[in-house]
Amino acid sequence: MEILELKEVHKQFGELKVIQDLSFSVMEHSVFGFIGKNGAGKTTTMKMILGFLQPNAGEIYVSGEKVTYGNANTNRHIGYLPDVPEFYGYMNPKEYLKLCGEITGLKKEQINKKSEELLSLVGLDGVNRKIRGFSRGMKQRLGIAQALLNEPKLLICDEPTSALDPIGRKEILDILSVAREKTTIVFSTHILSDVERICDSIGVLDNGKLILQGTVPEIKNNRRKDTVQIEVANLKHTKELEEKLKKLPFVMETTVVENCINIQLTKADKFGMEILAFLIKENIPVMRYEIMEPSLENVFLEVVG
Amino acid sequence: MKGFIAFTKKEFMEQIRTYRLLIMLCVFFLFGMMSPLLAKLTPEILSGMELQGIQLIIPEATAMDAYSQFFQNINEMGLIVILLVFGGIISNELTKGTLVNILAKGLPRHTVILSKYVAAFALWTVSYLISALTNYGYTAYLFENSTVKNLFFSLLCLWLFGGFVLSLIFLSSALTGGNFGGLILTAIALGSLLLINIFPWAQKFNPIYLSSHNLELLSGTLSPSEVIKPLVITILLIVVCLYTSILLFKKKKI
Repeated sequence: MEILELKEVHKQFGELKVIQDLSFSVMEHSVFGFIGKNGAGKTTTMKMILGFLQPNAGEIYVSGEKVTYGNANTNRHIGYLPDVPEFYGYMNPKEYLKLCGEITGLKKEQINKKSEELLSLVGLDGVNRKIRGFSRGMKQRLGIAQALLNEPKLLICDEPTSALDPIGRKEILDILSVAREKTTIVFSTHILSDVERICDSIGVLDNGKLILQGTVPEIKNNRRKDTVQIEVANLKHTKELEEKLKKLPFVMETTVVENCINIQLTKADKFGMEILAFLIKENIPVMRYEIMEPSLENVFLEVVG
Repeated sequence: MKGFIAFTKKEFMEQIRTYRLLIMLCVFFLFGMMSPLLAKLTPEILSGMELQGIQLIIPEATAMDAYSQFFQNINEMGLIVILLVFGGIISNELTKGTLVNILAKGLPRHTVILSKYVAAFALWTVSYLISALTNYGYTAYLFENSTVKNLFFSLLCLWLFGGFVLSLIFLSSALTGGNFGGLILTAIALGSLLLINIFPWAQKFNPIYLSSHNLELLSGTLSPSEVIKPLVITILLIVVCLYTSILLFKKKKI
């Protein structure tokens, strides 16, 4: 079932068209990576899903219910982590979660139980300091705890890792990996290694339009350039080998970088074998043979650039 | 309703932990103390001064002087304190972004406004009550024959006026943005009401009436029945201000 659905959503601020004809849907129990440059419209889209901004046209559905601007009832299905979460600095984490729990209408025992569970999940158990003294990473972790408190069907995280150091990033991704077992996650970012780590499917937003959508393996497969890389042991062989390879009928192009030869062919999975056979026949010592995977970064740069 | 109670509790906690409660209680307790004391001491201070032969005839201070001081203090200094303490009650949350998490949890926006108003009004009421009681007790102690007319009603008028000023802050904050927009607009609105008060025909419709005729009520030159009209109008205006600020707040970008 679709937990989130956007239909032909448009949004402009004055003359500036931020979102144009944006349609996509997210299936339940998946992790959707929402990728785009700074200013691509990621936060705007999320705020529209939460009913904080009014779309100029189009409709948004959360768990089958339509989102209305200003008083979004659909928010009871959503846990939201803003890019820079702000808290009441005079409270400690427990008090803050208590407030959030009471607002969502949880019972006292539930709040206590869930708070303890979540605070230990995000590594803030036993922290009784006031929130005003928290580091950015700690605030981000508390942000996830408050977002997960009402066991939302949909967890929306706006660039949860962008402002953090590598350790903080890893911690957040680990927490999200645990959270994905219970909820659907929509997660915006421009850090592509994070996407590869935890997302099932992605959507790339550029100039207010979704220009690429699909599962990560699907996208990589579709965008695969059939390239084979061979690393040979002896530099002497490279020139000679290149000449010979060029004469093969399925080889389109070759390039040599130090002792690596990149070969572009028509179909890597099919004719790759023939290259291996050829190498054995020619008796060339090979250190490495690899069918090159397109990195998400290359895909991103290609579609956005 | 659960959301309302939770958010109101949060407002009270905020008042305590950000020292708003302390400031309000101290300042208004001081007003209550100072007013009768100043009224009592002023003639003595003046008579003790060397006036180079000029004869000053100073009438002996009465309880009326104490109340005159009290209403003047609350009306001037008290108003400024209210503006400073409550001026940022909505705009602070909007500029900092602390409401984002809360609203994303599904708390209706009108609850935010109503909770905040109830909490602010409660703090104003308690502070004012302390001030009035201190003033009453001290006046009774310092002055013989301290009875005045319509005391409760006169105090009630000023109390309602305070509630009106609070609702103006809410409306102004919902109308404007930034840190001080609400504060400035409230000051402008109050200034305009004072200007309108110049016209005698407008006085009876003006909430300012509630804060400017308290002494006439005490002396009995003005009967409470004549204040009913501005009183009712002020209550209506409070409701209108709050309702409008809820409508505006619903359209606010968060």
